[in-house]
Amino acid sequence: MTDTCFRMKGTTLTSIVLEVIGFEPDKFESQLADKVASAPQFFTRSSLILHLATGLSATEFELLVALCRKFNLQPMAVRGETEGLKNTINDLGLADVSQSKFTESTLKSPSSSETEEAVAAQKTPVSKPPSAAQLKPAKVVSRPVRSGQQVYAEGSDLVITAAVSEGAEVLADGNIHIYGTLRGRALAGVKGNAQARVFCQSLDAELVSIAGQFIMHDKVKAACWKQPAQIYLEEDTLRIEPIA
Amino acid sequence: MAKIIVVTSGKGGVGKTTSSAAISTGLALSGHKTVVIDFDVGLRNLDLIMGCERRVVYDFVNVINKEASLTQALIKDKRTKNLFILPASQTRDKDALTIDGVQAVLDELKKEFEFIICDSPAGIEQGAQMALYFADEAIVVTNPEVSSVRDSDRILGILQSKSMRAEQGKSVKEHLLLTRYNPTRVESAEMLSVADVEEILAIPLLGVIPESESVLKASNQGQPVILDEEANAGQAYADAVKRLLGETVEHRFLEAEKKGFFQRLLGGK
Repeated sequence: MTDTCFRMKGTTLTSIVLEVIGFEPDKFESQLADKVASAPQFFTRSSLILHLATGLSATEFELLVALCRKFNLQPMAVRGETEGLKNTINDLGLADVSQSKFTESTLKSPSSSETEEAVAAQKTPVSKPPSAAQLKPAKVVSRPVRSGQQVYAEGSDLVITAAVSEGAEVLADGNIHIYGTLRGRALAGVKGNAQARVFCQSLDAELVSIAGQFIMHDKVKAACWKQPAQIYLEEDTLRIEPIA
Repeated sequence: MAKIIVVTSGKGGVGKTTSSAAISTGLALSGHKTVVIDFDVGLRNLDLIMGCERRVVYDFVNVINKEASLTQALIKDKRTKNLFILPASQTRDKDALTIDGVQAVLDELKKEFEFIICDSPAGIEQGAQMALYFADEAIVVTNPEVSSVRDSDRILGILQSKSMRAEQGKSVKEHLLLTRYNPTRVESAEMLSVADVEEILAIPLLGVIPESESVLKASNQGQPVILDEEANAGQAYADAVKRLLGETVEHRFLEAEKKGFFQRLLGGK
């Protein structure tokens, strides 16, 4: 055993977001009752982020939290229109996650800011799921990628709806999807994303690489030859798996 | 509106010039006013195959350099009406071709001709890129063997990225012309089949020209093989020209000769 009693770590978890569009206590209560009744197992004691799409008064907000708790839901953080509710949120032991900097600061170092203490009390720092705007759309190529050509999808996935010829090279920072035969080279996660994968309709590749790890033609030939397949990285080894 | 068609391949010796001669003759025979330009500056073969080598006075480079007018340089074909040849220079090299110079010549030709066939040199350098830069359509000549298919693939990539139409965001219409096809050798797996090549290149098939002695004979006689109506190769080129003009013609000569007539008729693709 060491002398240290605890360690601070960052984590990400999926959570239910309850988006409050309009708050009328009676209506809200009956609708929430219906919702919870539809899947009681799922909702019991599930952690909840309240997203205030509309501004609420302190009393309304307290009532909202009380109603949630009544149905065994556990609100842990609030985001959205939290202006003027800071104190109420604190008093109720919740975290205000309307600022996006929140995600970064919890991961950096523990500090004494009120919000973060509140989170620490909940034991589970919550990062906001990335919003759609943060995702760069995949690069889509609908013509064959010919010998000698190179296609690079910077900061995104690459989707090719045709074949990749021998001597052609396709690269992406994300995943590569090829809805045709892959005869050339495919390099996914070129900036080191080990989660990146290569998917293709027919595997006949010269080379496949993920985050710098690569396999050559002969190894590819031994598995899923000319079959629909996916290639991914597992414990520093590239795996080729058929896709049914 | 004149159509500029480049006959190209990447690899040398696959039959670009033979095909350029045959196709331009075929188009002219169908009543379309056609000019065929030899872009192989420095080597000059088209005039030999067209049998007009002794009539070359001025050439393509002379016209580009304004040392001669187009009318002076164009050679009217003796056998086929509506057909003209613009020969290459043998004393210059491919750097003599400039975008502006080629464009000026093509613009002038467009006023008079329905089809402008550009016979590309081998390779992917300056000469080949000049030949394909202004093309509306491309006939990619390929032999049924891996290195030729690879080079054709490469040239298709260049067509769709470095041609003028590609730069304008448009595409060049592609045609596959498979030459020197020998069904017997395909059956014994010595050669790639039509299906193999089509699968790799994924472009529409314009025609399959069987390997034939008549091609060499025609070249040596300076007579486009399409004029040899007896030869398989001549007929296959005639079919290809019809397809180029939009007709639907069944592909012939895909099966080995030893097979029966009905089998050829029913089994052929």
